[in-house]
Amino acid sequence: MDGESAEVVVIGSGAGGAPLTHTLVRAGHRVVVLEKGPLLRTQAQSPTGLSDFKRDECFATGSEKRITVQGVANTGESYFSSHVEPDLNDEPHVYRDSDGRDRVTIEGYTAQVVGGGTQLYGGVSPRFTPEDLRLATLNASRGDLRDDPGGEVRREARDWPLDYAALEPYYTKAEELVGINGTWDGQAKVPSRDRYQPPLEPNPISAYAAAGMDALGMRRYRTPLAVITRDHAPSGRTVPADTDTVKTAFVNRYGDPLGLKSNAWVSLLAPLRDVNGSGGLDLRANCTVTHLEADGPRVTKVHYRDPGGRPRTLAAGTVVVACSAIESVRLLQLSGLLDPAFDKRVNANGLLGRYFLTHCFGGAQCIVPERSDKSKTLDSDWATDHCARPEWFRAQGLWAGGVIYNNTSDGALPLSLARTWHAMDMDTMWKGYLYDTSLVGNGFEDYLEESFGRRLSVAFMANQVPQRENRIELHPSVKDKWGRPVAYIIKTWHPHDRALMDALAEQCRQILVRGGDVRDVSSGSVGGSVVRIANHVLGGARFGTNAGDSVLDPDCRAWNFDNLYVTDGAFMPTSGSANPTLTIEANSFRVGDVLLDRVGRP
Amino acid sequence: MKIEVIEKDDQYILNHCTKYLARESRDARHDFGQYAPGDERAAICEAWRFPVVDAHWDGSSAAGSYPYNDVTFVYDGRRTAPASVAVLGTFGPLHSPVPLRPLVFAGEPTGFFATTVRVPKGQVHTYKFAVDGDYTLDPVNPQRTVLDNGEPWSRFFTDACTVPLSLSRTERDLLGRLVCHLLPFRLDENRRLIRGVYESLDRASRDEEFPLAYLLDDEVGTVNYIDKLIARQEQHHADDYHTCLKIIGEIIRSRFGGLDPAAAPAELYADLYRQMETEKVDGWDYSRYGSPRFFLLLLRRHAMTGAFVHPKHGGNSGAAGWMYLESRFRDARDGTLFDWRRALESPLGHNTDYRG
Repeated sequence: MDGESAEVVVIGSGAGGAPLTHTLVRAGHRVVVLEKGPLLRTQAQSPTGLSDFKRDECFATGSEKRITVQGVANTGESYFSSHVEPDLNDEPHVYRDSDGRDRVTIEGYTAQVVGGGTQLYGGVSPRFTPEDLRLATLNASRGDLRDDPGGEVRREARDWPLDYAALEPYYTKAEELVGINGTWDGQAKVPSRDRYQPPLEPNPISAYAAAGMDALGMRRYRTPLAVITRDHAPSGRTVPADTDTVKTAFVNRYGDPLGLKSNAWVSLLAPLRDVNGSGGLDLRANCTVTHLEADGPRVTKVHYRDPGGRPRTLAAGTVVVACSAIESVRLLQLSGLLDPAFDKRVNANGLLGRYFLTHCFGGAQCIVPERSDKSKTLDSDWATDHCARPEWFRAQGLWAGGVIYNNTSDGALPLSLARTWHAMDMDTMWKGYLYDTSLVGNGFEDYLEESFGRRLSVAFMANQVPQRENRIELHPSVKDKWGRPVAYIIKTWHPHDRALMDALAEQCRQILVRGGDVRDVSSGSVGGSVVRIANHVLGGARFGTNAGDSVLDPDCRAWNFDNLYVTDGAFMPTSGSANPTLTIEANSFRVGDVLLDRVGRP
Repeated sequence: MKIEVIEKDDQYILNHCTKYLARESRDARHDFGQYAPGDERAAICEAWRFPVVDAHWDGSSAAGSYPYNDVTFVYDGRRTAPASVAVLGTFGPLHSPVPLRPLVFAGEPTGFFATTVRVPKGQVHTYKFAVDGDYTLDPVNPQRTVLDNGEPWSRFFTDACTVPLSLSRTERDLLGRLVCHLLPFRLDENRRLIRGVYESLDRASRDEEFPLAYLLDDEVGTVNYIDKLIARQEQHHADDYHTCLKIIGEIIRSRFGGLDPAAAPAELYADLYRQMETEKVDGWDYSRYGSPRFFLLLLRRHAMTGAFVHPKHGGNSGAAGWMYLESRFRDARDGTLFDWRRALESPLGHNTDYRG
């Protein structure tokens, strides 16, 4: 099998890799997709008629394991991960905590499976606003930005090298081909075409969030969700006869056994299996790419481990890296570690891994008077762009805004309710419940009475200030199971980020306070924690028009390479005012058209 | 006894191999205390996943499929490259081993061998591999048992298994008392509610919906869940249970005038619980186990999970935990506010689109 070659090799099968693969294969090209994780199939796809994903709370968060990585501050601690998240002892991410000590974390991993993070995401799929792509221009003459004495916000803001109009057709294409339900009326973004499927009836608990938004004069819309509610012709998926049964709390952090959640596999890759008599898409699951090899400005070979761990190589015409931002940066750095010439090309200006971004996020929660059945739900019902509008964030002395939406599937099932009780992040899963030792007998009864079906939360997702010191490196000592250095994440929040998070958390709190006779309202953000990243891993290889200020050119091609592209969230110079997946997908469709120009249109 | 071999494609089996078995590192990255020093399985990620126990589908009906699991045996022959591998076990006739086939990736053998057989739920079996004719234990699966003749065998159990594997009768009785204190079902009103729901089912629907229901008692199968969990996924906690249950039994017995701890009044358990929370337990032998609070937190996580987990894991027996929530939380028209049956596979739930 060695000596094999492929016109196009795509590394990663999620939101960054699947859309361009879809474009190329539909145009008649052969694409080899190498995916580290397994190919887990839906019930309809499986030859045995059984899905590899289950509606089982132990799938989202499994049994206890312990961190055995040596030389970090949390060696010996428990962790709980899903079956498609990487094993932390085999391939950890290490971050530098605010106390200066290194810790292993599950945060920031998306999922290792065909379809990537879109297999586990909640599916919240808003577009970015036009302003999100021109924050340097918008803030150039601002003198009123809060908590920015050094002027970093203005200095570090970047416009994207393309405007909203250039991205818009690809948003529309993504909404159509991925399969998204929602409503446009009330959004700050205007589509050229409405490709949404109609939303399902909201969960009754969301009425409190809707009432709060109305009371505050916030225009609201049904949160766009990547879940089909009608038969979806582009992917050939069909919905159950009773479409209301599409709503189940086995959504966020669960793979969907019926394939109704529009992940990159069921939406974009699975429909390609019949193209060109199956010769078009050559999908190789359970294959870990170890490094790229280059000859001058051309990447020539992709080195990978096959499902049994045997080293193999694949000669490639064009290589697309889309392993999610942290792992993509790491793969390029590992390639550079083995070949200084590669490193010099990919990191000529020292920016590879720099300007790593996630989202400013947080929100508010409360107990509502009337209980609802939260197990009949998708991930969110109502959203508002009120605080994403420039009028709002300018008046607040903020550089950028964010979307706000209510969560409906959080704590909807009994085990998830317990294990996320006061859990600050995925590293502290279960701990809040366990340490609250009053939850026994009658105390347990009270806890259920107050919590089950009565907890409502509203979240925001907003731009984070780009900082050069926020970065991905290779860890100096910790190695993965193949003996390669693991990713090392170093990041902090800018004081302006904290001001922004405080302002948006207060808006979320107000929504709940004004939403009805609620109680125990609390609000907060990730401003006090450096580890939390919402699994929105962005930046680290940003694109731009200036080769001295970016890693990728406007086509997402590495500046000093002829045939190397990066198309996951790593390309983003700013992180946007909303969940990033739809924008990653739209951009990947855009790069797909660029690649068609290279390899030939039909 | 005829063995029904199930066809699974290589993709399905490789999906269960790469993450766990493929690696260069031989470090004991996955030893959380469950292995003796030098045990090679400590290098394997989640070795407990082997053999793979999954749902079964006969192609036509939920009722016909639900009583069975598909069990996939994997043999890793990448280093030794055997010519033939077969599995012999109590799930089939002992005179006819089932051959494993080589798994292929991109037209070339991977070195892995596998086969899948249908096995009824609720069972425990022992097996060995025949590798080029030599009988050997499964080198991956951590579950082993020594038979009456002194021979060690590899072991597995299928879903909803209620055969005790880890804990003695005394340990189970004591553990039942401990988890009852943690869960809400011991309260009289809730106890009546659970029994009421269960008793209200007629015999036929009881058999159809909960054919694998265990004896329904106050701890709704939580003890059985823990017994299975420490036999497999959390084997590294088995010693915590053995040691602490022994200490707790001694303490309760001494506080209860030397009588059987399982018969002690609830207040004795409540007092003990409060003391464990503070790490200061009168009579606790700290030289045998340093942190009663650690064990308490472990127990709380397991008790909560065991009460509300999918019944295939051995807890939440007869879905009693879910039925409790279903009955406990009602709307103004007496409709349930926890309609768990709607999403879950028939015949356990009501969903016929999803097969489990």
